[in-house]
Amino acid sequence: MPVATFSFLLFISATLLVYFTVPRRSQWIVLLVASYVFYASAGVKQLLFLVLTTIISFSAGFLLAGVKNKNKKKFILASALVLDFGLLVFLKYYNFAASGINALLAGTGFALPVFKLLLPLGISFYIFQSAGYVIDVYRGKYPPERNIARFALFVSFFPQIIQGPISRYDRLAPQLSASHEPDFDRLKYGIQLMLWGYLKKIIIADRAAVLVNTVFADYMNYPGSIAALAVLFYCIQIYCDFSGGIDIIRGIAQMMGIDMVENFRRPYFATSLADFWRRWHISLGGWMRDYLFFPLSLSRPFYRLGKRTRRLFPGKLGKIIPTSLASFIVFFVIGIWHGASFKYMAFGLYNGNIISFSIIAAPYFTAFLEKIRIDPQGLPWRIVQIISTNFIVFIGRYFTRGPSLMAALRMLKRTVFSFNMQALRDGTFRTLGLSGFDLFLIVAGCFIIFLVGFYQEAGVEVRKALERKNWLVQWALVMAALAVLVFFGIYREGYIASEFIYQQY
Amino acid sequence: MSSKKWLLMFACSVLIIVFAIAGFNFITDPFGVFGDRFFNWYSYNFTQNPRVAKIAYLDRHHEKYDSYLIGSSSTSSLSVERLNKYMNASFYNMFMYGADIYDVEQTVKYIVKNFTVKNIVLNIGPINAEKYNKESHPLTDNLHAKTDGSSLARFYVKYLFANPNYGLAKIRSFYRDGYLPQVFDVFDVPTGAYDKSARDIERIQDLEDYKENYPVFSNYPRFNYEFAHIDDFIGSVREIKLLCDENDINLTVIFFPLYYGHYKAFNPERLEEIYSKLAGITDFWDFSVHPLCTDPRFFYDATHFRNALGDMALARIFGDETVYVPEDFGHYVTPVNVLKQVEKYQAGHVFDDSGYTIKVPVLLYHHLDETAGGSLVISKERFEAQIRALAEAGYTGVSLQQLVDYVEKGRELPEKPVLITFDDGYASNYEIAYPILKKYNMKAAIFVIGSSVGKDRYKDTGYPIIPHFGYEEAREMIASGLIEIQSHTYDMHQSADYELNTARTAMSRLEGESEKAFMQAVRDDFTRSKKDIEEQTKSPVIALSYPLGRYSDLTEALLREMGVKITLSTEPGINTLIKGLPQCLRALKRIAAREDTSPETLIKMLGGP
Repeated sequence: MPVATFSFLLFISATLLVYFTVPRRSQWIVLLVASYVFYASAGVKQLLFLVLTTIISFSAGFLLAGVKNKNKKKFILASALVLDFGLLVFLKYYNFAASGINALLAGTGFALPVFKLLLPLGISFYIFQSAGYVIDVYRGKYPPERNIARFALFVSFFPQIIQGPISRYDRLAPQLSASHEPDFDRLKYGIQLMLWGYLKKIIIADRAAVLVNTVFADYMNYPGSIAALAVLFYCIQIYCDFSGGIDIIRGIAQMMGIDMVENFRRPYFATSLADFWRRWHISLGGWMRDYLFFPLSLSRPFYRLGKRTRRLFPGKLGKIIPTSLASFIVFFVIGIWHGASFKYMAFGLYNGNIISFSIIAAPYFTAFLEKIRIDPQGLPWRIVQIISTNFIVFIGRYFTRGPSLMAALRMLKRTVFSFNMQALRDGTFRTLGLSGFDLFLIVAGCFIIFLVGFYQEAGVEVRKALERKNWLVQWALVMAALAVLVFFGIYREGYIASEFIYQQY
Repeated sequence: MSSKKWLLMFACSVLIIVFAIAGFNFITDPFGVFGDRFFNWYSYNFTQNPRVAKIAYLDRHHEKYDSYLIGSSSTSSLSVERLNKYMNASFYNMFMYGADIYDVEQTVKYIVKNFTVKNIVLNIGPINAEKYNKESHPLTDNLHAKTDGSSLARFYVKYLFANPNYGLAKIRSFYRDGYLPQVFDVFDVPTGAYDKSARDIERIQDLEDYKENYPVFSNYPRFNYEFAHIDDFIGSVREIKLLCDENDINLTVIFFPLYYGHYKAFNPERLEEIYSKLAGITDFWDFSVHPLCTDPRFFYDATHFRNALGDMALARIFGDETVYVPEDFGHYVTPVNVLKQVEKYQAGHVFDDSGYTIKVPVLLYHHLDETAGGSLVISKERFEAQIRALAEAGYTGVSLQQLVDYVEKGRELPEKPVLITFDDGYASNYEIAYPILKKYNMKAAIFVIGSSVGKDRYKDTGYPIIPHFGYEEAREMIASGLIEIQSHTYDMHQSADYELNTARTAMSRLEGESEKAFMQAVRDDFTRSKKDIEEQTKSPVIALSYPLGRYSDLTEALLREMGVKITLSTEPGINTLIKGLPQCLRALKRIAAREDTSPETLIKMLGGP
């Protein structure tokens, strides 16, 4: 049940209706049932992994609470993590690894079996979410959940299970268990957020996808300029699709009285790649920081490494090297978190290298700027930073969208060596599946998103500001949003001029 | 605004949009499911989805019909008018484009259950065993919910919330509509058939020209027919047969003529299975295999046979002697002769049109005089030399009626036919040409301008003009049996020099004239011309020669409706006439014989290209 369907809206409405009519104490049961119904609608078999993860993590938490011995605790934690991540690694990376090994061992007669594995919906999200819970319980951050059903809801909460955000137990679970009265403010904000999300997803992302898919499906036959254009459109597509989806999810939760963490904070205003990753898919970055970066940095090997580097490089550099290395590892993991493929490894290395290098280079660079009298805090330099960050992100997108690592490299090569500016003007543009009106909608949509982002960066609460306008303006906005959604979104496809059938008569 | 009010406003906005869409779709009704009360444009609706719109139409109009023709789009080529005449019934052509036998079976069931039905003519072919109940587009080629028994509520909701672009397209088309059928309204509503007035007026003569215009006929076979659905096909026909027997309905099953490019690709064993199984259920008329099926000119495209073939098929079934039916066309298949019929597919027909086509040159003259002058005036001497040369070369002058009889009835023409024609009706035709024609016993046709018959002064303004013969002379010439007097319009060949207002020099639209006004003008003009000639000469008007040779699809369609069987243009060339194909008589090509055309050159020109 994709979110952009009529049946999904019906499902949401029905769930909300039941949610607010049952006794408040049992609201969470409604959510649990709805979540499982929603998940099962994607495939009953997939439920197995969800249930398995729930049981593993719940039991680990339960056991951890009853054990005082440190080593035993460590063992329980390790087992739970191995089981949880083992599932993920197996489903996501086994075939990739096996076919790699088989290729290496070709001719020796030895071959690992390759399975037909289906990646269950949202598995990386719910495994990360439940692993975070186990680690927190281990660390004694909070006591474990005693009710497996309530825990199951935390793992499976339906709006978020498809694409996050990756929530923390201590923040989400109490909200799930609490009773919620219907609240007009929350309903309104929820609807507004959903509308905004749907506009981004259906009007902009789905349109941009047409051009992106056309070019990437046949990337060798387009000049560099068109390839670059496609990557640019992909940047637009992925932001609008992902953040739009999250807005829809957060909007639904908001209507139910549940606040979910923000996952995007205007990433295209970031001033450095590190800043970008603090604004893009925030819940994943946060998870990585808390459960990978800090443990790594504070681990014994890193402590020893730090000692050695400080000795080798006295001064700032010596202190920074371990941080830089930890960052490198984190971003490499984020890279392969996206999927099992060399292109994601390359993506991870790309981000990891740039960030760890800039951690090392930053102090020297700031000093250099001051020497040539450029204010690193000033607006002009910030604009330069924003543009260069976007450029770095743009290059990285060649890897995430390219069909393979080789394809991504080839496209990059074409972009650099056979750009062919002419292709942007000679009509090739019009053969990429988008009409002039489609382009207008995309450009206008991006402009509106930019404008809203700009005001938000400046600290303006755009929604509140609009609320102060008179009712006619507000009504016009709602009608415009709905009309655009319906006529240029829902009805974008499904019309076939049937005249061609009769050409012979 | 409070949040409560905002939510109320939001809900209202959603409702407004929902009602706006539903209302728009209800009013424009591009598929005709809601009765199309505002446009009442069934021709458009049928084109969008005949399965749905025809049922909606019949629900309101079925009392007008008691018999149904049914099948896929080729069924449209079987004439409802002829069936009505032959069976004394009132047929509706319930064909649906692209229909497979599942669609047909469901539709027959609905019709039999809900309407009065005396006869059903089922038009099918072996290719119906190829596909069965295929996936279809949910709006444009699905069955009506009433027909296939699915949820009516869901059906109407689907059309209420169909993409509004369909309704917009209907409105746009409404303003582009004209008299001739266009891609968006190809149906004739009362009969349910395709309106082929635009397609049935094109001149069809040379095979090579036709193939060039319609490249679809080249490069066959394109696919192999495996007939994967024989049992489904036979099962559906059996159901239909049982239903008809139970309800005392007269069922006629026809295998329609199929372009031979297809049947070359038939799997022979499977084909035999189809024939034997079908013959086991019902006898049927088989027109699918015949040498004529190798001739693309009898097909609109590779899957649609022409109305002309349909007429032959019906004439064959009902023994109509007035229609030309080629030898061996159509067989009544029974369990006894079924295997013999299948063998015909193996015969390997070779294209050969020598038996049913003939080359006919048409000569064009205007005024004659003792001496030559101007390009349109020929001297008596040269004219006689030309006619003499024709006679000596073995040419026989033929009449327009002979050409019609050749095409319509298959009546043979003399070996070297030539049609001699005179435009405008000058007195010199009577005074100079007629005696010469008599001398050589050559037939000819003279096309008179109604308003100038018997006159030597221009109408209204009275300018002196070349004298024209009168009806007295016309009657005398007709009585000789050599001359036909036909129409060159009543007053659509005006002279710009003599008219006070804008002159209509040819049968074409004046600047700023609406299509409707022009149609009225053409109708009025020809009606007058025909009436005058027929009243004065007591012989029928069957032909019109276009002033200045100018014609259009619209004039062709209008004249055909008014019974004109032959039209003549001034395009040069030799005509090929085809038995059974009336389109070969449209806009005949003519060779202008002039003063500078020597008799030898003329004979050479008639030899054809």
